[in-house]
Amino acid sequence: MIHQGNIPVPLLDVRNLRTEFETDSGTVRAVDDASFAIMPGERIAVVGESGSGKSAMAMSILRLLVYPGRVVGGDVLLDGTNLAQLGEKQLNALRGRTVGTVFQDPMSSLDPVMRVSKQMVAPIMRNLGMSYKDAYAEAVDWLRKVGIPDPERRITAFPFEMSGGMRQRVMIAMALSCRPKLLIADEPTTALDVTIQAQIVEIMKTLTTQANTAMLFITHDLGLVARLADKVAVMYAGRIVEFGTVAKIFGAPCHPYTQSLLRTIPSPTALHPARLPQIPGLPPDMKQGIQGCAFRERCAAATEQCGRDTPKLTDRGVNHLAACWQPEGLAGIAQEAAPRPELRRNDSPFRDRVIVEINNLNKHFISSAFLSRAKRTVVRAVNGVNLRVRQGETLGVVGESGCGKSTLARLLLGLEHPTSGEIFTEGLTQMVFQDPASSFNPKMRIRSIIEEPLIVKRKGDWASRQARVEKLIDLVGLKLNHLDRFPSQLSGGQLQRVAVARALALEPSVVVADEPTSALDVSVRAQIINLLADLKQELGVAFIFISHDLLTVRYISDRIAVMYLGEVVEYGPADLVFNSPAHPYTRALIDAVPIPDPVKEARRSSAVLQGELPSPLDEIHGCAFATRCPQANQRCRDEKPKLRQHQKSREAACHYAK
Amino acid sequence: MLAYSLKKLLQLVVTTIGVVTLVFFAMRLIPGDAAAAMAGDTLSGAALERLREQMGLNEPLFVQFWNFLRNLLIFDLGRTMTTNLPVSDLIKSAAPITLSIALATIVLAIAIAIPLGTMAAYMAHKGHKTLDNLITGLAMIIALMPSFWTALVFLLIFSLTLGWFPASGAISWDDPYSVMMRLALPILVLSMSQVAILSRMTRTAVLDVLSEDYVRTARAMGWSELRVLFRHALKNAALPIVTVVGLSFGNLLNGTVIVEAIFTIPGIGTVLINGINSRDYQLVQVLMIFYALLFVFINFATDILYRALDPRVKF
Repeated sequence: MIHQGNIPVPLLDVRNLRTEFETDSGTVRAVDDASFAIMPGERIAVVGESGSGKSAMAMSILRLLVYPGRVVGGDVLLDGTNLAQLGEKQLNALRGRTVGTVFQDPMSSLDPVMRVSKQMVAPIMRNLGMSYKDAYAEAVDWLRKVGIPDPERRITAFPFEMSGGMRQRVMIAMALSCRPKLLIADEPTTALDVTIQAQIVEIMKTLTTQANTAMLFITHDLGLVARLADKVAVMYAGRIVEFGTVAKIFGAPCHPYTQSLLRTIPSPTALHPARLPQIPGLPPDMKQGIQGCAFRERCAAATEQCGRDTPKLTDRGVNHLAACWQPEGLAGIAQEAAPRPELRRNDSPFRDRVIVEINNLNKHFISSAFLSRAKRTVVRAVNGVNLRVRQGETLGVVGESGCGKSTLARLLLGLEHPTSGEIFTEGLTQMVFQDPASSFNPKMRIRSIIEEPLIVKRKGDWASRQARVEKLIDLVGLKLNHLDRFPSQLSGGQLQRVAVARALALEPSVVVADEPTSALDVSVRAQIINLLADLKQELGVAFIFISHDLLTVRYISDRIAVMYLGEVVEYGPADLVFNSPAHPYTRALIDAVPIPDPVKEARRSSAVLQGELPSPLDEIHGCAFATRCPQANQRCRDEKPKLRQHQKSREAACHYAK
Repeated sequence: MLAYSLKKLLQLVVTTIGVVTLVFFAMRLIPGDAAAAMAGDTLSGAALERLREQMGLNEPLFVQFWNFLRNLLIFDLGRTMTTNLPVSDLIKSAAPITLSIALATIVLAIAIAIPLGTMAAYMAHKGHKTLDNLITGLAMIIALMPSFWTALVFLLIFSLTLGWFPASGAISWDDPYSVMMRLALPILVLSMSQVAILSRMTRTAVLDVLSEDYVRTARAMGWSELRVLFRHALKNAALPIVTVVGLSFGNLLNGTVIVEAIFTIPGIGTVLINGINSRDYQLVQVLMIFYALLFVFINFATDILYRALDPRVKF
């Protein structure tokens, strides 16, 4: 650590940073009066919902914002130099050299037409003054450090020849190869599968610790914060509302927003989770100037003062600051303020009738390109799947990307024809998609969107359709005046409610929801999950809930099916599967999920599932998971385990399942 | 890359055979027959029959087709009807002129349009709207001017009034300077509309790329704006630009016909118009094949270039 006298000097000292975006409908103050410091080697997490200004703040530090965003005030001291006074050329000397950056989407963050070698070697040559040969060797070395197998060969690849996880490794290698003192990581693992995320987090943790690199990482995943950070800055509507050590933020949060945020996450341990607590309302419209505390409209503890004056960050103990007029935020009143109806499972009045039955379902995609040297290949997207869904039941389907869960959804909806096998469904099947914003026609009003399935199926006359639409919009918790708006005028959470209303229009018996909450913010996600749970209870609709978010799936599902490479490897009651997984893959998946509790995170082993999903093109003889399974032996590689009954109510496909 | 090129080459051969076949049979669809169409009202009876004999129209169709293919391969393209010159000689003297005009036009258009479009995109990206609006607005106005009109205006101003460029005269390759002066105006006229299309296309393509994540990555790595613009943005934007250049070549070939006529340049376009006017069936047929093959070849070149620029291209 750098010392000046006896006082440690921060590596990065941000003071009163203000950033604005000029839009047609007014100026948005994306970052307002943000101040914080990072010590050398320290890891700071910035959490907040989309639009809270966390990315804008990170980009403002190196002034990487592009038009219409610009930094309008404040100082940024890096190693004692005030970046606010530097010109573009001097800033360029620091970018990549003193501060490395990793971005969210590995699929688009690397130049698609440039080989990895070229993208990596040039910065090393420039920043470390190395010859091409040395820089190349250095680049290969870094690829090895971030866990890329066969780096000598892989370095000559183009980004499109690598998986998302591999590309993010390249990004990290690129950012760290110039030995920066600070690494800025903007949602570095959000686009990745949970097992790959665990690997990447482990690599970032190890490498930054080794080189004493400080880290500023932006995330919406509180579990990740607990796993990785020393300190946390919580942002809301452009302001840092709470700042403190991980222990303080998770143990004794002061700001009502932080407190509610922590409560909205499904607990990984509770046996019979209650109805998920949710934050009412929506984040404020940043285009209107915000007077007073931005959170007050969603806050149960708000007083008159909150509407008048904007609270500043004040000390709440050692290393702990919060911006709230209440001395302890919501802590005292929270329980009474939100009485929660208990959501009981397994007592639905419907239950026993099986309404979806899938028997030995197969979907194989065959590719053979004309005049291509490649052999004819078969991708077994869905391979011998057997599942049953009962009335009013939620079946959660989990697995990494490429495991066949979306193909399964398409088969259920009849969008694909099975190669072999059967699907029996009683009644209609409808769908809720992942991204509400892009699954609606932007030129149609909400009323027409919900009405459309009724028109297609010629249900009722105009008056009865309108009545049905109005009933549906009420059912999903929206107001009648939402009906005459366009999709662009609604928030993501509201749109997802509309999607649910549309799916329910024809009174289906089954709704297939493909990642319905993954595009939503944490505080809104809880609202949608509760809505789905309520509808299940009220209407007796069965849900097939497809997601990679294990905590959510566990919360909402009665039963869970775990898929790996097109096959169901474990199937059983949600709590049982989660609490005592029988298949090693299920166990690995659960272990990879970061828990939003720093104490538990610290106690967990850092053993992570190695490797990636094998190519679905490979011919597999034994157990598909054998290549990554820590317990695999010769039998697993030779003999394919069948899905068989385990204990009373659970099935698993493993020779050694206990 | 090699496998890809071979595949594209094979496609080229297949398309060529297709084009030639299509032209051959399309010409047989003329009412009556080719001889009658050529002769119009001028010949009758025995004379017409002699012409048929001469043109080989009395042979069975597949024999005619076979002869046609064989003659194409050995570059024996027959003789023109009016002047009785070998068609191959005519093409040999006219094609270099037209190809020079087309090539020079494309080169000139690229040299102007790409920097101009890139600049407009960069200005728009940075929020300096005035210069962007100026460039795109100007391009719009130029694109709206039809080339036959600009050709006449230019001819009037630069040749007839100012006398800077010759308006007529033979083209002799022994005197490159005079050829340059002679072709300067047509090239200028043709490249104007090309610049307009291409600069707008470049602007859109570069502007799209500038908001891509990898451009942000390059900036975060500390690369200068110039390097970001040329190494990353323009290289990625090149893909749609190449496509447009390839496609607009067809447009350009149309343009040469008009411009050659206005500036009285003895290129392929002039030969074509003369051929049509004199109902020279043999000549028009050969020229159709000439244009089609040129276009097929340009497409082939575009495909190869596309692949060279973007390793992701598979088909």
